[in-house]
Amino acid sequence: MGTRQHRPEPPGNDVEEDLRMYRGREGQWAFLLHRLSGLAILAYLLLHVFSIGSFIFGEEFYMVIHERYDLWPFRVGLIFVTAGVVYHAFNGLRIIIMDFTGFGVAYQRQMWYGVLLISVAAFAYAAWTLYPRIMGGY
Amino acid sequence: MIRARTFTDARAQSHTNAELNWWIFMRISGLILMFLILGHIYMTFIQVSESDATYDAVVNKLANPAWKFYDWLILSLSLLHGANGARYSIEDYVRSRPNRAWVKGLFYTVVALVFAFGTVGLFSI
Repeated sequence: MGTRQHRPEPPGNDVEEDLRMYRGREGQWAFLLHRLSGLAILAYLLLHVFSIGSFIFGEEFYMVIHERYDLWPFRVGLIFVTAGVVYHAFNGLRIIIMDFTGFGVAYQRQMWYGVLLISVAAFAYAAWTLYPRIMGGY
Repeated sequence: MIRARTFTDARAQSHTNAELNWWIFMRISGLILMFLILGHIYMTFIQVSESDATYDAVVNKLANPAWKFYDWLILSLSLLHGANGARYSIEDYVRSRPNRAWVKGLFYTVVALVFAFGTVGLFSI
């Protein structure tokens, strides 16, 4: 194999640096899911603050919005929000463990599968608990 | 954004004190939010139905200053945590400097308005 000449990296190309740092395997998916779940939760939060906070415009305004959320697609959506929050919370815990302990990085892969397991369990628990409510519409 | 795997790396990589402080803030607020929000979801979604979250129920709940404080803590910590997380994403994916400036400006404005709206809502009753 011939030696390949190294070109200097273009400055400030963070996205490519990201891809190189996390290329392939669990670390990349953990990072990507953490970002996506975080942005999704933020979008939900902004809506949530507006729709719950809308009670300051009076009962009628609040209830018009709120009755829409009683429809089943929103209830199913909340199960996904729950699972997303659980993933983001426990993966965040995994990040903290990696940052502040000596053994964290060595076990990051195993911890990630643990996080996935906890998230799936939370999804299943929420879905199981809410199933009669979604079906019955109460 | 700091791309460190350990606290020592983070300190070495941070260009400014502010950047390092945000890095630390994300970890501490995340840990607190974990309990606040998982508790909030359990109490207001798993235990009770959406049908129970009527206007009267919300107003009654917020009559208690402890719930006001609980909700306001979630509001402020999660908006700061979320805004800083989104800032990391914007800095990573919005490549041109002028675009980044107005995307950030617009985004921070929305977050500030929602924060003001939520705070007024919590403490106006």
